[in-house]
Amino acid sequence: MIEFRNVSLQYNSGAAAVHDLNFTVPDGAFVAIIGANGAGKTTAAKLMRGLLKPTSGEVLIDGAATTSLRTSELAKRIGFLFQNPDRQLCKPTVREELAFGLELLGVPDAEVKPRVDAVLEDFRFDPERSPFALSRGERQRLALASLIAVEPKTLILDEPTTGLDYRECMAVLGRVKALHEAGTTVVMVCHDMELVLDFAERVLVFSAGQLLLDGETRKVFRDTETLPKASVLPPQITRLSERLADVLPPADTVEEMEAAIRGRKGEKA
Amino acid sequence: MTGFLDYVPGSSVLHRLDPLTKLVLSLGICVAAFVSDDLIFLLVLIALDILLGVLGGVFQKALRLLSGLLKLSVFLFLLQVLFVRSGTVLFELGILKITLDGLFVGARLVLRLTAATLPLQLLLSVTQLSDLSGVLVQRLFVPYKYAFTLTTAIRFIPVFAAEMSGIIEAQTARGVEFDTKNPVKKIGLILPLCVPLLISSVGKIHESAAAAELRGFTLRTRESQSKRYVFVPADYAFLIFTVLLIAAGILF
Ligand SMILES: Nc1ncnc2c1ncn2[C@@H]1O[C@H](COP(=O)(O)OP(=O)(O)O)[C@@H](O)[C@H]1O
Ligand SMILES: [Mg+2]
Repeated sequence: MIEFRNVSLQYNSGAAAVHDLNFTVPDGAFVAIIGANGAGKTTAAKLMRGLLKPTSGEVLIDGAATTSLRTSELAKRIGFLFQNPDRQLCKPTVREELAFGLELLGVPDAEVKPRVDAVLEDFRFDPERSPFALSRGERQRLALASLIAVEPKTLILDEPTTGLDYRECMAVLGRVKALHEAGTTVVMVCHDMELVLDFAERVLVFSAGQLLLDGETRKVFRDTETLPKASVLPPQITRLSERLADVLPPADTVEEMEAAIRGRKGEKA
Repeated sequence: MTGFLDYVPGSSVLHRLDPLTKLVLSLGICVAAFVSDDLIFLLVLIALDILLGVLGGVFQKALRLLSGLLKLSVFLFLLQVLFVRSGTVLFELGILKITLDGLFVGARLVLRLTAATLPLQLLLSVTQLSDLSGVLVQRLFVPYKYAFTLTTAIRFIPVFAAEMSGIIEAQTARGVEFDTKNPVKKIGLILPLCVPLLISSVGKIHESAAAAELRGFTLRTRESQSKRYVFVPADYAFLIFTVLLIAAGILF
């Protein structure tokens, strides 16, 4: 469980990047963080992982303040995917890259190989290739795979789908969804509202360093008053459904919309 | 927040000087610091550096660099004091031996380092890099390619520093113990990271080079520069001052 209590953070001498954040991410949740560029999403994500320490207030991970925890020791519990995956990659081959995280956490050698093999199988990587010779989408997947190999209880993903094509994007999020269903807590910063609607149960909306909205995904996307303030545009289906609210029951997916329209036609006939 | 090598906009005397004068002045101070062995003279040079910093309105920045240099200085000073074994012995305990020569050599090294680093920072604080390369090309007939290489190298320092701290952050997140208190262990951990830094840097440089070439970089000549640089009386005054400074350095 991750708890934010009156958390503010100020980069040296600048204005506050995030201001007075209060929220809780319970175990097993799938939470999305959305908001315009510069709204403080990455800052909040790094605070959750203890990579940044709050200027005031406290961030608690399973009840312990991040200021009292060593950043490197948290690696076993929380995996963090950076916006730029290249910074995470540092080994000459894909196999070594995947094994590196496990070795760092002191997993016995005999256990490393089968775990790496399982991940290799899952993601269909060529183990002998150099990570740096992979395409951008593959590097992103490799960075994620090297986190998954460690099997952390919580995954924090900073824009995991940026720059990926639809197939790569689904491959990444499919994996994340499977992990979530197996009990992993997921926090994902994402700009694609369709994906947020499809995958996240709850959304935190950031605007200018503040938490503007916090609630169930579908409810948040229907808050047409507040969302424009955060420069967030809900998915098209939701907007359409919102406009047709007087004639159709609410629908947030293609399937629901289809059912709503067909249901109405049946009603007329 | 500005980095310690960044340009600070302003309209002080120093900002208005010709870039060439500033280049000569700062290199002149460096030369004076290296030709002189006199501790007092080196202290005077440091005082001069600080005075120029005040004149250029970048006193705060100079202080920040000075406090950064202090840490390095303490380390260097101790090293010199412990390893120079000749001269009058002041203190001896087992293999530990502190001599007058050691103290003197240590102090000279540290003061010289400080006196010669400050003017370079000052130069970059009050001169835009484009002016620096411009004057090199126009006045000193340096081919644009080389002038550009020099200023690009300076421009890339903060970029690489940011990249390195990003890599360190990412590796800490994976569980590499950069948050250790043991400096020896930390250095051992940082060295392997030079590989990803190098790979990302070379990639960045390739991209910059391709972009520059596409925009006609190779077509540029000395005449391409539209800005003209001219000396004013203040420039001559500073140049004469520089010559005197170097002469004083040789004398003391
Ligand atoms: N290392 C840093 N130093 C100074 N300011 C920063 C730094 N990182 C981010 N900021 C500032 O903090 C604010 C929030 O940034 P960030 O959390 O990266 O936003 P987001 O991820 O939502 O785009 C921005 O105004 C940004 O300019
Ligand atoms: Mg971000």
